[in-house]
Amino acid sequence: MSNTQLKYKDDEQAAGGTPAVARTITVAVAGNPNSGKSTLINAIAGTRLHVGNWAGVTVEKKEALFEFGGRKIRLVDLPGTYSLSPYSQEEIVARDYLVHERPDLIVNVVDATNLERNLYLTVQIMELGIPVVMALNIYDEAQEKGYRIDVKGIEEMLGVAVVPTSATKKTGLDELLKRVLDVADAGAGRAPRKLSYGEDVETAADYVAEALERNYPSLLERYPKRWLLLKIMEQDGQVLEKVNLPDQGFLEEALHHLKRAHGEDIESIMADVRYSLASGLTREILEKPELRQTELTEKIDRIVLNRFLGIPIFMAAMWLLFKLTFDLSAPFGEWIGAMTDGPFKRWASAILTPLGAPDWTVSLVNDGVIAGVGSVLVFVPVIFAMMFFITFLEGSGYMARAAFVMDRTMHSIGLHGKSFIPMLLGFGCNVPGIYATRTLENPKDKVLTALLVPLMSCGARLPVYVLFVGIFFPNNSSTVIWSLYIMGILLAVLMGLVFKRTLFRGEAPMFIMELPPYRMPSFSSLCVHTWEKGKHFLFKAGTYIFAVSVLVWFLLNLPWGVEHKRDSYLGQAGAAVAPIFEPVGFGTWEAASSLITGVIAKEIVVGTMGEIYAPKHGEEKKEIPTLQEDLKEVVTSFGEASVKAVKTLLYLPQPEEKEEDRGGLKLAIQGAFTPLTSYAFMVFVLLYMPCVVAIAAMRQEFGTWKWAGVGLLYQTALAWGAALIVYQGGRLLGLGG
Amino acid sequence: MNLAKLKPGQKGKITSIGSIGPLKRRLMDMGVLVGEDVKVLKVAPMGDPIEVSIKSYNLSLRKKEAEGIAVEVAG
Ligand SMILES: Nc1nc2c(ncn2[C@@H]2O[C@H](COP(=O)(O)OP(=O)(O)OP(=O)(O)O)[C@@H](O)[C@H]2O)c(=O)[nH]1
Ligand SMILES: [Mg+2]
Repeated sequence: MSNTQLKYKDDEQAAGGTPAVARTITVAVAGNPNSGKSTLINAIAGTRLHVGNWAGVTVEKKEALFEFGGRKIRLVDLPGTYSLSPYSQEEIVARDYLVHERPDLIVNVVDATNLERNLYLTVQIMELGIPVVMALNIYDEAQEKGYRIDVKGIEEMLGVAVVPTSATKKTGLDELLKRVLDVADAGAGRAPRKLSYGEDVETAADYVAEALERNYPSLLERYPKRWLLLKIMEQDGQVLEKVNLPDQGFLEEALHHLKRAHGEDIESIMADVRYSLASGLTREILEKPELRQTELTEKIDRIVLNRFLGIPIFMAAMWLLFKLTFDLSAPFGEWIGAMTDGPFKRWASAILTPLGAPDWTVSLVNDGVIAGVGSVLVFVPVIFAMMFFITFLEGSGYMARAAFVMDRTMHSIGLHGKSFIPMLLGFGCNVPGIYATRTLENPKDKVLTALLVPLMSCGARLPVYVLFVGIFFPNNSSTVIWSLYIMGILLAVLMGLVFKRTLFRGEAPMFIMELPPYRMPSFSSLCVHTWEKGKHFLFKAGTYIFAVSVLVWFLLNLPWGVEHKRDSYLGQAGAAVAPIFEPVGFGTWEAASSLITGVIAKEIVVGTMGEIYAPKHGEEKKEIPTLQEDLKEVVTSFGEASVKAVKTLLYLPQPEEKEEDRGGLKLAIQGAFTPLTSYAFMVFVLLYMPCVVAIAAMRQEFGTWKWAGVGLLYQTALAWGAALIVYQGGRLLGLGG
Repeated sequence: MNLAKLKPGQKGKITSIGSIGPLKRRLMDMGVLVGEDVKVLKVAPMGDPIEVSIKSYNLSLRKKEAEGIAVEVAG
């Protein structure tokens, strides 16, 4: 904390300023990774922070404000850490917050099924001299395992309040908050007990304390004293750099005896001392049942992590994911499609025409907005289904397993298995994938991983695949889509190899990761987090996809009165670029213009096609149904869609479908592409430059345009190359042009 | 004997931790300390990394690092 801030706080207290009751109490929520901190805050404050069953979900500090007992409380969710000597960027966030911002109180979330390792951090948190309340979380699982924990015992030995909680079952929360208020009101008097680290360490600490008091008294005002002493003794690089002691002679002297007595490096000595406190405490207060049953996690892992089956299972799981996503959501997508194509357009005309709106406005609404936004909306169910499954994978504990299984492969490209988690997240949306690279310890890994994340096929690309696959590969739809996802992964491996040889030479990083037990996410939490992930696609549809649709309509109709869309501004631009796509099989102005607009967001490729291929005015159907008929149609066809989805899920036979021509878009695309060129087109869409939001995220993460630029260039080149190989290779094999 | 050489299902006690690189401290923070009991649970499909159980949770690390952790086989 800076000096000025500290003064401000003191002044406030001295002046008696705001009465304690009105002040917002700032509570930092800290603990080991995956101990349930974010879940706890969600349960208490009704927030929807990202949670998942692996270590390193939260990567930045998040706040939640709420009231309890008439008091304002600010909960600060911190990334999990194993100790207060951080390695990765997100752990530094946590430690810096605790040390420099000095919250009023720390809620230490402890995983009750894993006491010893969690208490090791508790011991360090107590060094900070800030009042602590312990949430003994995941208490439900501990009880299921038959653990008996002496809660009073912990309170007595550590001198902190302890409350058993279950964030998922929402038990113990009120009690926790009551204790938080009690402790907050007691103020400094409730600072945790000072634990003794044994004679040798304490003698050395006293020696350092004296030296500091003598030579650098101002330091002790700025930092928590005991914490500072111990960090200086541990020779924590970051702390030493910050406090900048000109003469460290006294430190050598202080540590001399300690090292002589223990014959180890100081880091090991301190880790040992703290762990023996944690172990000693655990022995006193925890009773485990004699007989341990084989747990579900072991049983599942025996299959999922099997030496021979591990990788095939991973591939099969992904395939199944696409199959389910696709089958379940397709009927609803078709329903939305039919609605926007039929009733909505008719209603728009019915409303606008009597109002005296000129023809061109009706066309703007119908052929611009409804065709453009509608074409994208069709795929919202698919996107949500996809997000649902990703949320499930995150909550179940499979993420860490995927990292474990893939580590060897990732190692060969100079990364490690943990880099695979941002990539998996990238399947939902590349942007959180890029942010998730913060959990990687090494800056080089971060950049490399972030460069590869956009090769993971995100939800926004699904609409393109679904549209084309539905037209050209109706019988193997999921397999074709799956092949695109796999291609993304394989190309990421290939590009990783290339980057490793060129931009990122050097040692491969170490891989150390916790494998959490499998957990069954609750249905309600699945829904909440699916919505959290999916809603921004809806938001996008309502905002900039809407705006782009309008823009595209103008570009397609200007200069005013153009006969053919080909001669419009967009058509001319497309035609100018089209020759570039000649060798890869889709050198038409329509394809080129869609790709240009798709840079904003990849779903826009579909939106623009919807507008380009929208049937010309005047070719409308003969009979216009009444409003009532339309409404009935909307409801009944939704019912039919639901029935179809359920039947698909249960593998019940479906009635043969009449091949009804569904609007111009499909027909037009059927005329413009072949199966081969459509595949080349999908490959191009998969790979070509990341959308503007992803580029902005890279810029923000790395503070320079450099890596975003590298990503943009290499991906576009790769996209073209891959599409070329697909198209020309396919032709050589006689798959038709 | 070192941790990388234990077979799945075998248990051991850590006798020393060599200089296994920059993340030694991280391993210690996660409870990999001299005197600790470890059990190898699994080897990943492609032979690396391995999964061990330590201090009542499961940890995965690569064989290269595991080689620096000397163990005494127990049972
Ligand atoms: N059974 C049980 N599971 C819990 C409880 N609290 C959290 N979980 C689960 O534990 C996992 C981790 O929860 P998170 O809230 O993401 O953990 P975190 O501490 O925020 O983790 P990081 O952000 O990675 O540091 C999730 O799968 C939760 O559903 C609990 O009280 N009981
Ligand atoms: Mg979290």
